[in-house]
Amino acid sequence: MAEPMSARGPEIVCEAVTKSFGDGPSMVEAVAPLSLSFAAGQMAALVGPSGCGKSTLLRMVAGLEQPSSGTINLDGETPEVLQRAGAFAMAFQDASLLPWRSVQGNIALARRLARLRADPEAVAEMIARVGLAGFEDARPAELSGGMRQRVAIARCLVTNPRVLLLDEPFGAVDELTRARLNTELPPLWKATGTTCLMVTHSVREAVALADRVVIFSSRPAEIVGDIAIPEEARSDKAARLALAEEVSVALAQGWDEAGTAERLAAQ
Amino acid sequence: MTALAREQWPATIGRVLASVAFVLVLWHLAALTVAGSYMLAGPVVVAQYLVENSSLIWRALVVTAQNAAWGFLAGNLAAIGLALIVLMIPQSRMLVASVALVVFCLPLVATGPVLRVLYGPGPGPQITLAALSVYYTTFIPLLVGLRAAPGNWFDMIRLYGRGAWSAFVHVRIMAAMPYLIAGLQVAAPAAFLGAMVGEFTGADRGLGVLTLRALRALNVEATWAIALVAASVSMVAYWAIGWLADRITPSRPEILLATTPAPVRGPMAQRALRALVLGLATTVIVVALWWLVMEAFSLNRFFAKRPDDIWHYLVTAPNATAHRAALWTASTATLVQVVPGYLAGLFLGAGLALLLALLPILAGGVLPVAIALRSVPIVTTAPLIVLALGRGAVGTITIVAVMTFFPALVACIQGLRQAPGQVLDLMRLYATNPLAQLWHAQIPAMLPAFFAAARLSVPAAILAVTVAEWLATGRGLGALMAMTASTSDYNLLWSAIVVVAVGAAFGYGLVGLIERLVLARVAPEQLRR
Repeated sequence: MAEPMSARGPEIVCEAVTKSFGDGPSMVEAVAPLSLSFAAGQMAALVGPSGCGKSTLLRMVAGLEQPSSGTINLDGETPEVLQRAGAFAMAFQDASLLPWRSVQGNIALARRLARLRADPEAVAEMIARVGLAGFEDARPAELSGGMRQRVAIARCLVTNPRVLLLDEPFGAVDELTRARLNTELPPLWKATGTTCLMVTHSVREAVALADRVVIFSSRPAEIVGDIAIPEEARSDKAARLALAEEVSVALAQGWDEAGTAERLAAQ
Repeated sequence: MTALAREQWPATIGRVLASVAFVLVLWHLAALTVAGSYMLAGPVVVAQYLVENSSLIWRALVVTAQNAAWGFLAGNLAAIGLALIVLMIPQSRMLVASVALVVFCLPLVATGPVLRVLYGPGPGPQITLAALSVYYTTFIPLLVGLRAAPGNWFDMIRLYGRGAWSAFVHVRIMAAMPYLIAGLQVAAPAAFLGAMVGEFTGADRGLGVLTLRALRALNVEATWAIALVAASVSMVAYWAIGWLADRITPSRPEILLATTPAPVRGPMAQRALRALVLGLATTVIVVALWWLVMEAFSLNRFFAKRPDDIWHYLVTAPNATAHRAALWTASTATLVQVVPGYLAGLFLGAGLALLLALLPILAGGVLPVAIALRSVPIVTTAPLIVLALGRGAVGTITIVAVMTFFPALVACIQGLRQAPGQVLDLMRLYATNPLAQLWHAQIPAMLPAFFAAARLSVPAAILAVTVAEWLATGRGLGALMAMTASTSDYNLLWSAIVVVAVGAAFGYGLVGLIERLVLARVAPEQLRR
C-alpha cells in the first residue's frame, strides 16, 4: 500500500469528554467533562499530577479507550477511522518493544501494521536518525533503557504518522539521555507537521518542547491552565527556563489562587 | 555456543561424570548392604542385565517411545486447540478448564482397561493414555501464556487499526512460547508414563509389559534395569526440550505451571451460587460428552457403560446399597493412604525448599537433580519402592509422597526466587535475619507456586496410589479397578472411574479454595486482579 498522502496532522477536537472506570460505589471518575481542541500540526504538552487522567485522555484520542460521554474528532473523523488509515503512532512510558524481535524487526513491524510497504531503507534511516546505527540486529534485552526508548521513538516515526502521541516516553530515561532526546527528536516530528500530544510530569520539558502547555488538576482531570508558548520563548533558553520556573512555582502554590494563568498567558 | 560456554564444557562434563560416579558408588554400596533381600540390584548386575538383554529392551523401548511420541503429539495438539477455544471465547474459560480438569482426573489405571476393550489389540490405549497424561499440563500454562503479554503490546496493534488476528500472529504466539515450552517439558515424561500405564492393560510389547513381567517374577535386576532405562529416557526427553527451547526463546522466565487464582470476591452466597452453577454446568457437559462418545461410536453397552447405567447400578438397582458399600470400602482404603502421602510429599518438598533457601549454596546443586527426578515416571519408581518397602501402607504412602515431593520442591524453589530482589536488599540493609526474610518476603512470594504444585499434585497423587494398589497392595480403588477389569465387572469399573474422577476434581477444587483463602489473608497481591 502507498504511503499516507501527507503527514500533515489533523485538528483534534474533544467535546464534553468524560471517562469513568468501574461502576457503583467503586466507580472512579478519571476525566471530568472536558472540552478542548488542538490545532493541526500543534505540539501540545499535557501536564498534571500523577493519576489525574492525562494518559486516559491520550488513550481516548488514540481510540484505545472509549469516552464515557462526549466525542473526540480528528478533522471530523473518529479515532477508529484514523487507526485504520495508519495515522497514529504512540510511545508508551516503557518502550514496549517485542523482546523476540531485533531493533530493525520492531521498527519494521510498525510499517507492516500500518499497512505500508516494507522499506528497509526507511527503517535503516530511522535507526540512524535516533543514533542506533550498528544496533540493527540487537534484541531489546541487549540495549539500555535510553536506547530502547529511542527504538520506540523510531518505531513511531517510521510510519510518518499524522498524529503522534507520547505518554511520558522519557520518564524512565536518565537525565542526560533525556536532555539529548529532547534536543534531537522534536525536529524530527516538527518537520512533518504532525499533530503531537505529549504527556509529561516535567514542566521544564513541556515548556522546552511544546507550542502549548495544558495543565490539569488532580483527578478527575480538569483544565486549570492553558498556555501558548511563543516561538521566541522556546528559542531563548533564559526565557524558557524562567517561564518553566514560573509555571512550576505557580503550580506548587496553587494555580487558581495565584491567578498566574492569565499573567503567564499575557506574557 | 559462546566462547565462554565452550570453555566451560570440559568442566561441566567433568562435574557430570563425577556426580554419576558418586551415585554409582553409593548405589553399589547400598546393593551390597541389602544383598539377597530382593530389594535392590546393584549397578553391576543391572548393567550385566542390560547388556545381555539389550535387544529385548531396545525393541520394547522403541515401541513405548513411539506410543509416547504419538500421545505427546495428540495431547499437546488437543491442549493447543482448547487454549485457542478459550482465547476466542473468553467467557468459556472456567467451563472449558473445569471440563478439561475432570477429564484429566480420569484414573489412567481404570481408563486403560476400558480403552483396551474399546480399541482391541494394538497401540490405541497406550497412545490415548499418553495423550490424556499430557494435555492438561500443557493447556494450563498455555492459557496463562496466551494472556501474558503486556497491555501496551496489544495497544500498539490496536493503534494501527489491527484486530485479534494481528495480535495473535504478532504478539500472542511468541509471548506464549515460553509457557508452551514449559508445558511440553513436563509433558514429555508424562507421555512416557501414560504409554507405560497403557501397556499394563494387556499390551503385548513395550517397557510397561516388561515391568509387569519382571515384577511378577520378582526379577529384581530386570525391574531396576527397566526403571533405569525409562527414567533415563524421560530425563533425556525433558532436557532435550529444554535444550531446543533455549535456542528458540533464549531468555525464558521461570514459569509456574498454574493460573493465578481469582480473588475471593462478593458475598458468600453469591460465590457459592457461582461455584454451584459452574459445577452443574461441568457435570452436564461431562455426562453429555460421555454419552455422546458412547453413542457416536455405537459402543457395546456390555463394556461401554453409559451415565444412566452407572446411575442405575449405584442408585436404583436392587443391589445398589451393596454396590455403593463396595465402592465406599475401596475409597476409604485409598483415602487413608493417599492423604498422608500427599501431605507428606507436599510439605517435605516445601520444607526442603525453605531449608535450601537458608542454605543457598546447596540449592544450585539440588534443583537440577530435583528437576531430573521429577521427570522420572511413577510407574518406574513404584515397583522399586514396593521392592524396597514392601506391599503395605508404608510403601504405598511413600509412592504417593515421592509423586508429590519433587513437583512441590521444584515449584517452591522457583517460587522462593520470585521474592523481589529490592525487598530482600532492603531487609539485608537492616541486617534482618534470614528467617525473617523468609517469613516476610520469600514465603509470601512462594505461596502461588506451592499451591500450583498442590493442585496439580492431587490427580498425580491419585494416579500414584491407584498404580501402587494395582501393582502391589491388593487393596483400595486401584486394586478394585484391576480386579473388575479382569472379571469384566464393567459396572463396578465405570463406577470406580466416576468416583476417582469426581474425588480428584473435588480435591483439586478444595485445594484451589484453600489457596484463595490463604492468599487473600497473607498475600492478597498474589491474587489475579
